[in-house]
Amino acid sequence: MDPITAELFRNAVAAIGDEMVLTIYRTAYSGVLKNIMDYSAALCDAEGRLVAQGLSLPGHLCSIPVALKAALAYFDGDIAEGDILVLNDPYEGGMHLPDIFLFRPIFSEGTVIAYAATICHHTDVGGRVPGSNASDSTEIFAEGLRIPPLKLYERGVPNRTLHRIIDKNVRLPGRVFGDLRSQLAACEIAARGMADLLARHGAAGVRALMNETMDYSERLTRHCLAELPDGEATFTDWIDDDQIDAGVPIPLVCTVRKHGESMTFDWTGSAPQVKGAINNTWSYTVAASFTAAKSVLSVNMPNNDGVFRVISVIAPAGTIMNALPPAACAARGLTGFRATDCAFGALAKLYPDRVFAAGDGGNTGITVGGYDRDRKGFIYVDFLSGAWGARPWADGLEGNTTMFANMASFSVEVIEAENPLEVLDYGFVPDTGGAGRFRGGAAMRRTWRMLADEGILQVRADRQTHRPYGLAGGGEGAAGRNLLNPDTPAEQVLHAKLTMNFRAGEVFRHQLPGGGGFGDPLARDPQAVAKDLRDGLVTIAGAARDYAVVARGDPPEVDLAATAALRAARRGATA
Amino acid sequence: MTLRIGIDIGGTFTDLVAIAADGRVLTRKVASTPADYSEGIVAGLSALLAEAGGTVAEVLHGTTIGSNTILEGKGARTALITTAGFRDILEIRDLRMPRVYDIGWMKPPPLVERRLRLEVTEKLRPDGSVAVPLDSASIAAAIAMLRAERVASLAICLLHSYANPTHERAVADAVRAALPDLPVSLSSEILPEIKEYPRSSTTVINAYVQPVVRAYLTALAARLRAMGIAAPVQLMQSNGGVASAAFAAAQPVHIIESGPAAGVVGGAALAARLDEPRIITFDMGGTTAKAGLVEQGEVLRTEALEVGAGVMAGSRLLVGAGYLLKLPAIDLAEVGAGGGSICRLDAAGAPKVGPDSAGADPGPVCYGRGGTATTITDCNLVLGYLDPVGLVGGAVKLDAAAARAAVARDLAAPMGLSVEDAAAGMLRVASANMMRAIRAVSVERGRDAREFALLAFGGNGGLFAAAIAAELGITRVIVPPLPGVFSAFGLLAAETEHHASRSLRTPVAGADPAVVGAALAALEAAGAERLAADGFPVTQRAFRRLAQARYVGQSSELAVPLPEGEAAAWLAALPDLFGAEHARSYGFRAPAGEPVELIGLSVIARGIPERPRLGAAIPPATADVPASRQAWFPGTGWVETPVIDRAGLAGAGALPGALPGALPGALPGPLIVQEYDATCLVPGGWSAAVDTFGAIRLTAAG
Repeated sequence: MDPITAELFRNAVAAIGDEMVLTIYRTAYSGVLKNIMDYSAALCDAEGRLVAQGLSLPGHLCSIPVALKAALAYFDGDIAEGDILVLNDPYEGGMHLPDIFLFRPIFSEGTVIAYAATICHHTDVGGRVPGSNASDSTEIFAEGLRIPPLKLYERGVPNRTLHRIIDKNVRLPGRVFGDLRSQLAACEIAARGMADLLARHGAAGVRALMNETMDYSERLTRHCLAELPDGEATFTDWIDDDQIDAGVPIPLVCTVRKHGESMTFDWTGSAPQVKGAINNTWSYTVAASFTAAKSVLSVNMPNNDGVFRVISVIAPAGTIMNALPPAACAARGLTGFRATDCAFGALAKLYPDRVFAAGDGGNTGITVGGYDRDRKGFIYVDFLSGAWGARPWADGLEGNTTMFANMASFSVEVIEAENPLEVLDYGFVPDTGGAGRFRGGAAMRRTWRMLADEGILQVRADRQTHRPYGLAGGGEGAAGRNLLNPDTPAEQVLHAKLTMNFRAGEVFRHQLPGGGGFGDPLARDPQAVAKDLRDGLVTIAGAARDYAVVARGDPPEVDLAATAALRAARRGATA
Repeated sequence: MTLRIGIDIGGTFTDLVAIAADGRVLTRKVASTPADYSEGIVAGLSALLAEAGGTVAEVLHGTTIGSNTILEGKGARTALITTAGFRDILEIRDLRMPRVYDIGWMKPPPLVERRLRLEVTEKLRPDGSVAVPLDSASIAAAIAMLRAERVASLAICLLHSYANPTHERAVADAVRAALPDLPVSLSSEILPEIKEYPRSSTTVINAYVQPVVRAYLTALAARLRAMGIAAPVQLMQSNGGVASAAFAAAQPVHIIESGPAAGVVGGAALAARLDEPRIITFDMGGTTAKAGLVEQGEVLRTEALEVGAGVMAGSRLLVGAGYLLKLPAIDLAEVGAGGGSICRLDAAGAPKVGPDSAGADPGPVCYGRGGTATTITDCNLVLGYLDPVGLVGGAVKLDAAAARAAVARDLAAPMGLSVEDAAAGMLRVASANMMRAIRAVSVERGRDAREFALLAFGGNGGLFAAAIAAELGITRVIVPPLPGVFSAFGLLAAETEHHASRSLRTPVAGADPAVVGAALAALEAAGAERLAADGFPVTQRAFRRLAQARYVGQSSELAVPLPEGEAAAWLAALPDLFGAEHARSYGFRAPAGEPVELIGLSVIARGIPERPRLGAAIPPATADVPASRQAWFPGTGWVETPVIDRAGLAGAGALPGALPGALPGALPGPLIVQEYDATCLVPGGWSAAVDTFGAIRLTAAG
């Protein structure tokens, strides 16, 4: 294989993946797609192996080939030009019901050469709550419309039965069909791009080049792995609870085994599947494992089947990491986030100079749905995220998306313009970043007042009892909090995960967790603490308590002599 | 004799182009002087005037001072006043990061530190009504802080001020009364549009650069006066129009990406001059390549850009690397591929080009200044495309043997290819990277690249143009006169332009034509006022009206040009116009009857110059070139290839062997057109001629 031709082909298929992603971004209806970028697009070969994936959501890494292979297994060769395959069933290739996969076969002279693949998180797919992502469902049957592998179009003709069933089973059919059109448009982009490549290289040439594209990723991944020392490490992280068995913590256990040019993420020991809707399907556990691996190995590795060949994942069936039906899984995003934290924790034991402390634990999902005074329905779906754990070489970030989902912030003005909600604040909370030589990112909070008569508030949050871990002596990040009517006599601390009535005039505040710290807080440069004091991210009391730094005044001035004395005393006390 | 002068300041060079009333063209390239850019300008101008003589009638200026101030963190000590509870909006940004999976990611530091982000107690509702009245005690506290912290510039951005500016104005009035010398930037004046983060960021950028830009423009004007130049300075805006220095000093936010815009504007003017309805501009220099698009005289614009985001990583969705500027700007896609881009094999043996560059120092291996990494320029030299005698008329000597040794050692041997195949292969990889930029402004915007001509400039544009065009199915390439200083030339073609926009959200079906019509009229009046201030009489004003629209429920808008006429009429036509634009941009439209929503309105007000900005022709330049040299082409190998200068090509006349479809007098490739600071490669299968304007036309055999 000529290396120049191979590189040009890789560039071309990567461009196709990116152009598919861009098409969805520009034409989608759902804010979830645009703001959270909760969608992905890819090109697969005729066997369903991933050749190129557009850059969007790390949480979807690997999900597309799993879904496509399930569809191919069901149709068993019964695939014609003009077909569009669709599915969302978590137990037949999917992840959770809001994620709808569309596949379009690309033919050359009567034979399938490749598949254009897209997956989008739809605003609503029916079920018992608006948004279809409650964490307190206990069976998949409550979660919405379940679509096994089917054909949305058959030889170019819309499947009217399926269209009508979707139309009657989702709350905002206009939005769902608008987003499906957007997915189809992305597949069209891929078909055009592949037509160019087929004209240039022929069917046999394209097959060979797709194979080489995957082989190249495999070589690159093996090379990255070979450079790392071998070893094995196990880490346990916790989910506070599943909302149904309130207060019962759920352990995730990840063992990373690195040997030569291969790496395994083994989730044996993780909790059995739970009653609440936070059960992972297998592909989501794989995505979490790969995300952690990629961050530690090389961020530039192309995402495709070649990577999957050398990094393997074990997740026993019947556990929260690989649930069996009819477990509910709509809110499994949380488990994906925690699985990433857990995999990073294991990697940190093997490669302490390459891994950061825990961040805020992934996003919090917040939904307010109901009807305004004219009985017009509204659904506000928001995700909040923001604090990173400290790095071995730098502070954690604040006000930055979690790495597992490259999400955007929802504009306060747009929230207020589109929903019967008032936003009262949105910003950082001092003294919440885990202390350390490098500080964890500060927590963020957002506060809403309900303006409609009544609606349903759903919150999927975590890390309120099991805080983000620090590394190398760094402290934990602050716990997250949910409050009703904060700063009033009627203030009430709420559960991390909740579904409740939200009435006119009531105020709800969500505070995210802070990021974990890295290294000994007493080794933090007092000038760095001085900057935090000036910025108001650490208070004078917090500086004394967490860093043994003495400061006073406004703007706060650090007293270096007093700090040195306090630090010496603190060290002496612990020595 | 009067002169019009274009001055384009880049990071390394300041380019000057002067066009005299008799059509003579003079150019100068001098080193930029970052400590005070006006020094470099004066040096260049003095040399130019000494040669040309005459008086300066016009000075048009493109400058990177705005973006450099931000990149280097050298703006004014700036404060921001926000609605209580929201001071962190500026730092939270839109959360997104440009580098997925990267643990090492560092956010650009906010332009206003947290302590100087001050809050006043007040709150408006989305319709502009008051939810919480403005509290004067909180204003007084903010003013005390501005004073104590010796703040030098202030931005004010309150929630929903796009719907009602009175709170922002009241705060500004109080501040001005207390601190009369403090420059104040109001979000309701800079960008009266919904979404608090883009509005805050844009307003803060204005405040942050304003004192610096104002000082620079004042100093420049003084230096020019001292030279006896009385002509006013006009500045290129990011949107491609020019504006007065006074306007730029007050709202410098419009000239942040002033520099790169000029090449596309020049391209648009040249396209009009040459009757080319559709061109893609391709500007390739030493470190990056930039692509833009011109259609029916209109340049492709984007609604927002990020200052300092660097080159695109392949996908333009990876945002967050820079500082968000939500203003219309010429849409330029940039990739890290230029003459200095480094060629290498990665750990798995794949050939890669850039984005890192050997720069000018040490530069490519062939410069002999200690560079050891093989670059694109080395590959071009190895294949005989560049003159081994040297660049810029021999001022930069080239060591072809060293380049060949580097390609052999680092690329050819590990790939198992010949030196020539390896060098040509790297050029193809670089071309593929640059095609991503061209696709970003064409295919990704629903345009078929094959319908466009490629306008190639910059020192390296002409070397790659034919190869890239062939890959994209483009059959015509234009290399304009003065390709090495084309951006400065483009300044001379720019026209006065002002953009104004506002949010106006309503379903089209339920829109009140009176309200919508009044909003559009107000934007036109604002544009007219600015044109009047620029000295354009009523007869020399043109307005282009646009609506931002989307299908109800969609989350991105498209700009739709509006027909002339009353609001009631164009509102009725809007759903269909929008559907057509959606189909053109994305390849599909929603079923008929799908409701459309109006999101905003904008007006582009243009001052029409008294005379066309481009003259009849630019005389083809001569250069000292050899008659021929050995050059290597894929498929044919080493060929003794004719070398000619632009003037020689223009005078070649009809020769036997012209290809079918070629222009009269065209010479067939392979051919090298060598100029003082640029080279144009005409491969086999292409022909080249110089047209009546002085541009080189490359045509693929049909």
